[in-house]
Amino acid sequence: MTAPLQSALMPEQLANWLGLDAYGGAGTFVAGIIASALVATLMLTNAALAGPWAKRKITAAFTDRIAVNRHGPFGLLIIVADAVRLMSKELIVPEGADRPAYDIGPILIAFSALFAFAVIPFGTLGGINFQIADPEIGLVFAFAIASIASVGLVMCGYASNNKYSLLGGLRAVAQNIAYEIPLIVTAASVVIFSESLQMSTIVAAQTETLVTIAGISIPSWYAFVNPFAFVLFLTANLAEVGRNPFDTPEAPTEIVAGYQTEYSSIYFVLIYLGEFVHIFLGGAILAVVFLGGPAGPVLPGLVWMLIKMWAVFLFTQWARSAIPRVRIDQLIEIGWKGLLVLSFANLVLTAVIVGVLTL
Amino acid sequence: MSRSELPDTPEVGVAEGEVDYDELEALLGEKVLEREDHVNAGGFVIRPDDVQDVLSTLRHEAGFDHLSNVTAQQYEDRYESIYHLKKYDDPTQEVNVIVPTPTDEPVSESAEPVFRTAEWHEREAYDLVGIEYEGNPDLRRILLPETWTGHPLGGDYDQTKPQVVSLTEHANPLQDDHRVENDNDGTDTMFLNIGPHHPATHGVLHLKTVLDGEQVLDVDPDIGYLHRCEEQMCQQGTYRHQIMPYPDRWDYISAGLLNEWAYARTAEDLADLDVPEYAQIIRTMGAELCRIASHLLALATFALDINGDFTATFMYAIREREKAQNILEDLTGQRLMFNYFRLGGVAWDLPEPREEFFEKTRDFTNGLPAASEEFHNLLTNNEILQARTIDTGVLEPEEAKQYGATGPVARGSGVDYDLRRDDPYGYYDELDWDVVVEDGCDNFSRLLVRMREVEESAKIIDQCVDLLEDWPEEERNIQSNVPRTIKPDPDTEIYRAVEGAKGELGIYIRSDGTDKPGRFKIRSPCFSNLQTLPEMSEGEYIADLIASLGSLDIVLGEVDR
Repeated sequence: MTAPLQSALMPEQLANWLGLDAYGGAGTFVAGIIASALVATLMLTNAALAGPWAKRKITAAFTDRIAVNRHGPFGLLIIVADAVRLMSKELIVPEGADRPAYDIGPILIAFSALFAFAVIPFGTLGGINFQIADPEIGLVFAFAIASIASVGLVMCGYASNNKYSLLGGLRAVAQNIAYEIPLIVTAASVVIFSESLQMSTIVAAQTETLVTIAGISIPSWYAFVNPFAFVLFLTANLAEVGRNPFDTPEAPTEIVAGYQTEYSSIYFVLIYLGEFVHIFLGGAILAVVFLGGPAGPVLPGLVWMLIKMWAVFLFTQWARSAIPRVRIDQLIEIGWKGLLVLSFANLVLTAVIVGVLTL
Repeated sequence: MSRSELPDTPEVGVAEGEVDYDELEALLGEKVLEREDHVNAGGFVIRPDDVQDVLSTLRHEAGFDHLSNVTAQQYEDRYESIYHLKKYDDPTQEVNVIVPTPTDEPVSESAEPVFRTAEWHEREAYDLVGIEYEGNPDLRRILLPETWTGHPLGGDYDQTKPQVVSLTEHANPLQDDHRVENDNDGTDTMFLNIGPHHPATHGVLHLKTVLDGEQVLDVDPDIGYLHRCEEQMCQQGTYRHQIMPYPDRWDYISAGLLNEWAYARTAEDLADLDVPEYAQIIRTMGAELCRIASHLLALATFALDINGDFTATFMYAIREREKAQNILEDLTGQRLMFNYFRLGGVAWDLPEPREEFFEKTRDFTNGLPAASEEFHNLLTNNEILQARTIDTGVLEPEEAKQYGATGPVARGSGVDYDLRRDDPYGYYDELDWDVVVEDGCDNFSRLLVRMREVEESAKIIDQCVDLLEDWPEEERNIQSNVPRTIKPDPDTEIYRAVEGAKGELGIYIRSDGTDKPGRFKIRSPCFSNLQTLPEMSEGEYIADLIASLGSLDIVLGEVDR
């Protein structure tokens, strides 16, 4: 397979530019911190844009409304207003809450979503390669870290000393287990093509031309190579991030707000932040694995990557506005009896076909 | 004979489509102490310990299978419970069973073993009037707090004395161990309070739920949070003008005109008032606009319950409903509390310019098929929604009748019962429309009934608009001659019902010779319909419980009154 296009990662580049590499390991460490801060800021900015503003605007567009339009241009200043509002609310901890689990839960949810971005190749902007680390097991690392969120959900669920939270926590875990396996197995079918778990290699493998139609060359994005796996992944991803038709863990009309019922103020912000960053993480993995990562014409790689992530976000909002929610037993059934079987069938078939073709 | 088995509809006590009270009296034999005549139907006075026998005979041998209402009241010398019986096949065939009990010992036999719906109705009678029903499985207060002292509609109750109701005497529902007692297989259960403040209760309703995992073992609706003494207030108002504003506040989901009609019909029959044909057409049109608005909101909130908070269907339905609301505002000057009907007519004629009003109304009804198509695409044609609603919340027809279910809930269970057709009033029998019945008995059927009824209502409105447009200008009479004060003869009693948005909305009035009712009892369709919830949802998932509750389309303002 082809070598990664950009060999130098952001920490190395930064260390180089700032002259930190003279200090050896300590310098690289500092550069790594700076790089992480940059990526985290990027993602938090996205989440801030998506949570208080874009989500409202998108949902409003789907549902025949206008949404926020009084705070600054296009209502954008609602982000500031909401931030002040949420932070200044009283933090109410229910009696009998199991601390510190009650406090760790939201932090874990937000942290796990952000941490996984360490291995996501965002592409380049102005010569900087926005990727913090590129381990050989990048894809597995991303999934492993992202699934820590489940632990956070359980903690929130049982530590709140609230029956709705408990039900929501149980639902969240049941759902995450049922859908993470198909998600990972489907991603594994892509690894058969790329022959690597390294994110940069997966991206690079998709730059080859698949076919050329009327002078336009279609890249070999795995969404085109294996559309079946793409659809499977997209579906499982909806369940992973808990959006319709799989928003059963929250299901506001049934169990109030599920595991987050008892959280207010900054904890609420953390959970919400985690949720939105998680959607973007799902979008980022989807983009890297199936949509060629940061690849795209004219615009810089980072912009393309963000466009693809936002497209996935838009898709989740669309599903939320249009599709009913399945019941918990139906959800588990779809996961274990439907998606799991299909994803294994996809994996085996892909393996066989690739094996035959490469013989 | 068990409650769910019924013989083929017998024709005992019926002569030429009318109830033959002599034959019924012969059927009941010496159990009848006395005959009484109410404006709506004849009645039999019976002993308090013959209630089950008499009702059972009337139900199984004479076919009175619908216990529409139970009215309780206190006279100077006695208490009295009245069981208003009807037939689902023909609600114009009615009979009243009157059960007097002595003042010093107001104990009467419960009708619950014959009609399950009697359980709640008798609890209400016990709560507000103070009659005790022996054999009622759960004779607790239902509308007032458990710690309330006295029975506010009873004769010796001091209504001027304020009462401080302490909540400390209440058992805190969170403290107790609410495991189901007969939990034989050793599985642990969880008690869950759904409400009084919960996103899916559509108001202040409290469901005491026992869960086994995600499944509902037991659900007990706790109502009364929105009790506003509506009956008491109506008893303090004069017939002519002061009562009409109250019905708007029962079912406040824009079904105001339908409620007003219930009072208008009852009072007009009581005082023998005519309504000009022109006013009847306006009433019919306005009432059907209200029905559309109400059903669209039911559809919208059902979508919320099934889809979640961010569904587009909700706003789309609200968008259509808004058009109906605007027309109603043009007609009545109000959007919520219309107060548009008057005894003997309506408050004023259609708004000028009339052409504009007709055009607006036609635009609305013409646009409905497209909107309806959209709702079908978003809801009924969606496979996930079908998986969620088909065969969930099942209410068999016999069960529906047992609980006195009416309206879309009964029609979704295949019970062909619609007072607009079966007990005609207004202008309905002159118009061409159909009663919508679905026999799926599940949440899906009830949704479908409401969606199709919207289309039928649109048909009715179209015909009304045509009629109104061609009505000669000099004959536009909106109000008949009504005496300034209405004083029906003392002890005239009447029970009349109309088809409200949620079902049979009935009113019982007893006059006491003054210009205010002596007793004013509201038969709320939601009250009876809500009783079916445990039947529908026990053994199902909690998500189905929420869906079933949504499909019942209750309004707590009407349940609690």
